[in-house]
Order: sequence, then structure tokens, then C-alpha cells
Amino acid sequence: MRWFLRRLAFYVFAVWLALTLTFLLPRLMPGNPVGGLLQHLSPSQIQANPGIIATYEKLLGGNHESIPTAYWQYLGHVVHLNFGISTSNYPAKVSEVVGRTLPYSIALVGIAFVLAFVLGTAVGTVAAWRRGGGFDTFFVPLFLTLGAFPAYFTALLIVYFVGLKLGWFPFQHAYSTDVTPGLHWNFISSAIQHGILPALVIVLAYAGGWVLNMRTVMINTIGEDYVTMAQAKGLKDRRVMLRYAARNAILPPLNGFAPQFATAVGGVIFVELVFSYPGAGFTLQQAALGNDYPLTQALLLVFAICPIVAMFLTDLANLVLDPRVRTA
Amino acid sequence: MSQIQVELQDQPFSPLSAPATRRGIKVPAWIVLLLKNPKGRVGLAIVLGIALLAVISPLIADPASATNFSFATRLAPTWHHLFGTTDQGEDVWAGVVVGARRSLATGFLVALLATGLAATLGITAAYVGGIVDDVISLVTSVVFVIPTVPLLIDVTAFLHQRGMTTMILVVGFTIWAFEARILRGQALTLKNRDFIQAAKVSGESTWRIVFGELMPNMISRIAAAFVLVFYIAIIIEAGLEFLGLGDSAKASWGVSLYWATVNSSVLQGEWWSFLFPGLAIGITVLGLTLVLAGIDEVSNPRLRGIPTRRALLLRRRGPA
Amino acid sequence: MIAAVPVETERRAARTGPLVELRGLTVEYGIGEGAVRAVDGVDLAIAPGEILGLAGESGSGKSTIANAMLQILRPPARIAGGQILFENEDLTTKSREELRKFRWRNVSMVFQSAMNSLNPVMRVGDQFVDMMRAHERISKRDSLKQAEGLLDLVGIDPRRIRSYPHELSGGMRQRVIIAMALALEPELVIMDEPTTALDVVVQREIVQQIRTLQRKLGFAVLFITHDLSLLLEVANRVAIMYAGEIVEEATSEEIHRAPRHPYTIGLMQSFPPLRGPVVRMSGIAGSPPDLAATPSGCRFHPRCPHCLPGDAALYARQTTERPRLREVAPGHRVACHLVERDG
Repeated sequence: MRWFLRRLAFYVFAVWLALTLTFLLPRLMPGNPVGGLLQHLSPSQIQANPGIIATYEKLLGGNHESIPTAYWQYLGHVVHLNFGISTSNYPAKVSEVVGRTLPYSIALVGIAFVLAFVLGTAVGTVAAWRRGGGFDTFFVPLFLTLGAFPAYFTALLIVYFVGLKLGWFPFQHAYSTDVTPGLHWNFISSAIQHGILPALVIVLAYAGGWVLNMRTVMINTIGEDYVTMAQAKGLKDRRVMLRYAARNAILPPLNGFAPQFATAVGGVIFVELVFSYPGAGFTLQQAALGNDYPLTQALLLVFAICPIVAMFLTDLANLVLDPRVRTA
Repeated sequence: MSQIQVELQDQPFSPLSAPATRRGIKVPAWIVLLLKNPKGRVGLAIVLGIALLAVISPLIADPASATNFSFATRLAPTWHHLFGTTDQGEDVWAGVVVGARRSLATGFLVALLATGLAATLGITAAYVGGIVDDVISLVTSVVFVIPTVPLLIDVTAFLHQRGMTTMILVVGFTIWAFEARILRGQALTLKNRDFIQAAKVSGESTWRIVFGELMPNMISRIAAAFVLVFYIAIIIEAGLEFLGLGDSAKASWGVSLYWATVNSSVLQGEWWSFLFPGLAIGITVLGLTLVLAGIDEVSNPRLRGIPTRRALLLRRRGPA
Repeated sequence: MIAAVPVETERRAARTGPLVELRGLTVEYGIGEGAVRAVDGVDLAIAPGEILGLAGESGSGKSTIANAMLQILRPPARIAGGQILFENEDLTTKSREELRKFRWRNVSMVFQSAMNSLNPVMRVGDQFVDMMRAHERISKRDSLKQAEGLLDLVGIDPRRIRSYPHELSGGMRQRVIIAMALALEPELVIMDEPTTALDVVVQREIVQQIRTLQRKLGFAVLFITHDLSLLLEVANRVAIMYAGEIVEEATSEEIHRAPRHPYTIGLMQSFPPLRGPVVRMSGIAGSPPDLAATPSGCRFHPRCPHCLPGDAALYARQTTERPRLREVAPGHRVACHLVERDG
């Protein structure tokens, strides 16, 4: 319980820091972001949206308020998800753009990254158990090499070879242009088909890290006395490997899940760009190139909060998987 | 198990953790060990090979042809253009070898900056302890979960001048956190060693102990962390350029990839325009990963694979 | 299971010949040039129902013998030669599955580190269940019930089957492991330094308990420790190991009364007797040899107080010729040139 309260304090602190960071960033940067931003809107567009300048100034600074007042007003806007209009998606609001693009990213990254974790730890487990054997000498270097390729390069390779040359799966956009998004089979099957290649890239790019991580921890765990004793007890090999060695070895990689997720969230931006996948990452890149600051700020907040949520989930998993944490 | 195994395992640790002498230049034992390790050797050969190509690039390619549109466009690789030409008529080979300079230099300087920050903060936190440790650790663990790439995208969006210095500072100041965490953990184990305690008792100042005693004795760990950050920096830096957030007028691996996607070379089947710069990044990173794996194996011999012949003999006898 | 004990003891007593016999057992770490011999041609027999003590310094190969008997050596360690006979069947030729069934059912083991021998993420009861169900068709419920009985037997509250290892003290964990070791009524229980990790008071209690249980249930024990004085109290017979070899073997009384090997004598002097007057301890000068480069001749000669160049003929034998184990009295074997000369 004490442990959980401490973690809770940490989440609150991390979220607060993310908010403060997005508050300070535009104010610390040289130049006047609001001025640059308004150049992307025509005078008539500005006139059609009264109060838009004030909203931008509250988000990005430049309205000559004292810092505490400005901070308070900024927090107010963030809490109400009021980020104004996205200049690069006029007349859509920033919150609408985020709400439209984020689900694609969450589905893609969530599924693919968990798959990468499961695949990587499974390969790492078996490689460590049969260290020096055929599986170990083949798969570990393979995943190491795949992991050495940056996600964007793997993505380009997959688009070119699997998408363009072999034509096995679609490699642009998140669904076919002839279906409308909604909860019906046409859309879902199209979305799954379009998601396969980007997901494959994420799995290939991130499984390697887990393979190495799990293999190292697993090799150390195999040296533990409880594993030797499990074997001495006459348990079947598979049971010793899974319930004694791997079950304990999974805990450290699991704790590395959230920070890795933070890295992966970045990698996803590249993958979405290559596949023109209309997720939050692609949108962030477009917004950054188009100086659409309210949108970049909102997306940065989202991206900063995602790993904190992942961290909360891994803490819950820890609570279930490690009895020592429960009593701490 | 038997004590013998423990002794065998302990042995390679000692050259790593033996107190370093401050006088005299001698090749440290762990570098010798690293060179004896197959992965470490191959990795070093790859990295040094690529670095050599970067250094001699003016001799083997015309730097101007990397960025000037001086040739016929979209040529597949031939003898004249080993790696072909781009949509705009740049020579891809020149782009790769000349770009290596900028990519490697940026990565190296980022790693230097991040490692300096990480080593100072991490080791200080571990050694001083108390409230200093609490504060540094808290900041570290928060920076640790803030996703680097989106933050960098955001920052570079606000900065209108996108040169190499900006890139180095921005990346360096955002990726030191996890490295600081690793080094802090390792410094903690070293902190209670006799020679550190002796220095403390003899009244040496904190700074002197951190920089004069702890750091020299953690040099192999710091080197490992440096290699790790080096390749992450190369990936991130090329990635930002790939997103169009670098200086797109200069030659570098990331910029080559950027133009390859902007000009939709991929979709038009011009595989050479992205394959070679991408491979350059991949091979460099692979080399650095191998160096890192070599350092890991030297300091933790259990990770070494058992030669296959032995594994075959032993397979019958339970988990190998 | 407790009810079955008298019959079981009778059956064991009725059998003749050793329960376990090691013949020329050799264990090496690694292969080829760099191979290190941790155990070198060891002959040893354990009779049904006896407590055999195995003593020696760290690294002398005691634990390696234990792990070899259960065939749970970890690479690069491997059996390089010799036989391990259990009821006259050679274990080194058995299949994986046969070995798996043999482990714990016939020979169980109490490990050195009570702290680390239990899986930290499994409840104590489940670790019993796991083991029982690997060997017999039994429901989870019944095996938990048996586990409760066994915990009671070693003096632990049966409700502890719901506990995780970190909720138990070191002494309790070691008792849990002892209870586990007895669960399948094995013929032999190997105790590898079962009390080293515990504090002295708990040590005494556990040793007492092992002896009581052994008398009650009649299993044989291979008791491994570096503490010779403890061993002389517990064991019927004692074997002394040095640098991978057995250098002396006799009944406890005999070793206590008339140790012959200089190393045994040295070991006797390095521990205070548990009872009796305080004596000056002399110990053994020097340190155990590096097994990668064992001394020629008698492996103990660099540390032996009786190996002096004065007696040229003896000195030459001590430094070049390996002494063999030979019987100096009924059941008392010694490997020492001095004894050969005297006898």
C-alpha cells in the first residue's frame, strides 16, 4: 500500500512535469510563436474565430501576464482540452484532430508493442535456456541485427519489398478509401489489413531489445538456486524453464516496459510517416513542419502522458506478478 | 553450485574493477579483453571501418556531388555511380560517405555531451546520497519516461535555425537520463569499496573522489554507456533529419532518407536511394551494438555462448 | 505417509550392499586444454540408512559430487568419467526422462542457501504441489494436505503453505526445504551445507531435527559441510576431500580418535569442538590449490607439515607420486605416503 502511494505520487509528479514542460517550452524559445502561428491563418479566418488569439496566447505565451497567472490560465485551458483551432487543419479544433488521430496510434502501438514484448521475451527465454544451441546462435544475432536497423529504415524496406514488390498487404493509410470509418466489418478488416505492415515494422524493430534483455536476465536467473532445486525436484524441463526461471526473469524486463514504451512512441512517428498512417505521430510531424504550435503542444502532452499510463499498467502487472511488491 | 564456478566467474571482473592507477599510459586490461572477445572485435572493426570511410571521404568521392544536382536523375547503381543517383541527380555513394562525417560527428558529440552529464549527475547522486540523490533520481526517472522524439520534434518546431549545434544540444540534453540511471546504479556498488572509503576517510573532497577515484574506476562502464548513447544518438539524429527537422541542405544519412521519401523514391521503386544510407546507419549501429555486447560479455562471462561442440555434448544433461 | 515408515525401514534394512556407489567419478569444468578437474576419480559408497559425512574446504569438490549424483551439473561442468550406481544401476547411462523421475523420488537434496532455494514468486504450498505432481498422480488438494502434514513434521505451522518464501525466516525456509526433501520418502537425502547460511542457534535446532527425522524415517543422508566437528557429531562415517580427491575415510569415532591424514588432522584443529574445553586452534597453513594447476604428486604436499626435503626418498615420492587410498584398519582408508611407509 505504501508502495502504491509512492507510485501514485510519482505519477502525479510526472504528469505535472509534463504539463509544466509544455507550458515553459514555447515561452523559453526565441521569437514569438503566436505571431508565427497567426501567419498561417488569413485575417478573415481570425475574424471568424473571436478570442482565438487570446486562446493561443494562453497556451503559448505572449500576453504579458505574470507567470503564475499565465500558468493558471494555461492549466485551465488544458483541463478543458481547449487548445483552440489547428491551423494546419482549419477549421478543425485541436482537440478534434487529436481525438481523430490518437485511436489509430493507440491501437497500432498498443498491439504491436505488446506483441514485440511477448515475442522478444519468449525468444530470449528459449535462447537462454538452450544457450549456445542452434536456436540461440541463429535467432539472437538475427533479432540483434533487425533491432540495429532504425524503425524508419525497416519501415522503408518493408514498404518497398513486402508492400510494393510483393504486394501482399496495403502500405499506405489506415484503411481503404472506399470504406467509411465505423464499427462495421468492412472498416475493421480494412483497418487490420492496413495495420499489418506497420505493426510488423514495430515488432521487428523492438523485439530485438527484449530478446537481449530477457536473455541476459534469464541467464542470471538460471544460475539461481531455486532453479537448480526445481530441476533437482524432478520437474519437467519445460516447467522449470517457465514457472521457475522465466517467471522470475520476466520481472526486470517488465519494469523496463514503460521507458521502452516511451522510446517506441517516438519510433512510431517514423513508422506512421513512412506508411502515411493517419495517427498522432504522423500528425505531430505534419504539425511541426507547418508550425501548428497548438497542435504540437497538445500532441506532446499526449505523448508524454502515454508512457505514464504504461507505467501505471506495468505497476499493476507487478502487483499481480511479484508477491514481494504486495507486502512492500 | 560449487564454489569453483563462482571463482571462474569472478576472475574476469577483477581487471574491470581493480583500482586504476592514475599515472602512466597503459592500455587498460578491459580493452585487451574486449579485443579478445569475438563480438567486440568484429564490432570495433565495423565502427572503425565506417569512421575511416568518413575521414577519407574526399578522396573516394566528390563532396560536391553529394548535394549538387550534377548527374542524370534516377540512375540505378552502375560502375560510375556505385550506389546510383537520386531524383535530383545527386550521387548516392557520395551522399553516404560524405554524409557519414556529419552523422558520426553529431552522434559522437551528442554521446559525449550526454555521457558527461550522465556520469557527473549519476555518480554524484550515488556518492553523495541523501537528498541530492533523491532529487537527481526523481528528475532522472521523470526525464526517463518523457518520450524523447516527440519532445525533440516539438523543440525543433519552435527553433527556426536547425543547424548541427542545435541538434547536438537538443538531443544531448534529452537523452542523458537513462544513462545517468545506469551509471548511478553501478557507482552505488563501487561506493563502498575499500579504496573509496579510504579516500573518504583521508579527507579528500567530494569532487576529487567523484572525478579522481570513482570515474577512473568506472571507465569501462562509462565507455559502455557511451557506446549505447552513441548509437541511440545516431538513430535519433538521423530520425529527426528523416522527419525533415534537420538541416536538409547538408549531406547526412538522415537527410538522404528524408529526400528519398519526400521525392517518393520508394514508391517509384528506386530502392538504391534509401537502401544505402539506411544500411550505413544499420551497419554502424550493428557495429556499436556488437562492441556493447562485447563489453557486456567481458564484464559478465556468463553471457558468453558456449561453443557449439560443447553444447552438443552437454545437451543431454539438462538445461544448457 | 508416516504410517508406511516402519515397513519402509524394514525393507531398507533387509537390502544388502550399498545404496549408492560412486566409482571413479570424475567431473570437469570445460573441455580440452583448459578443463579443470573439480572431482578426480572418487570412489565412495553410501549404505542404506546411514549418515555419511563429506568434509573439505571450499572448492574441494564436495558440492560438485552432490550435483553430479543428481545429474544437475550446470555447463561447463560435466561428468567426464566414472559411474554413479544407485541400487546397482548406472545413472550416467539413463535417459533424460528416467533421470527426471529418479530425482527427488530416490535422492532428494537440501541446498546450501535456504534464502535462495525457494521460488520467490510461488506460494510454499504450490512448490510442494509442483514437486509431488511431477512424480505421482495426485490431486492438488491431496498434495496440499500432505504438504501440511510435512510442515507439521518439521515444526512449522501448516497454515504456512499459503505463505510466500519472503514471508518466512531463514530457519523456516530451510525447514520447509527439509520437509520437501522428505515428501517422496527418498532413500537418500543429500544435505549440502544445510545450516551454513543460518545463525548458530538455528543451526543446532536444524541439525537436531535432521537426526530425529532420520532415525524416525530411516533414510540415508549424505551430509556435506566444511565443519568437521559438526560432522563428527552427526555422521556415522566421514570422508574427507581435498582438491577433488578423497584423502581419508573412516567411521566418525575412528576419525575423531585416530585421524591419519595430515589434512584431516589440520581440519580437526581448525574448528573448536562443540563441547569440551577451549583449545588452541592451529589450522592449516596455505590455501587450497588452484584446480587448473594441481600440484604434482600428493596434492596436499605444498601445505603438508610432514613434507620436508630431509627424507629424500619420501620427499621424492610425495612430490611426484600420487598416493592411493588404502585400508589401514577395517573400514579406514587413507591416501598418504606417510601412512604407506608406516603401514
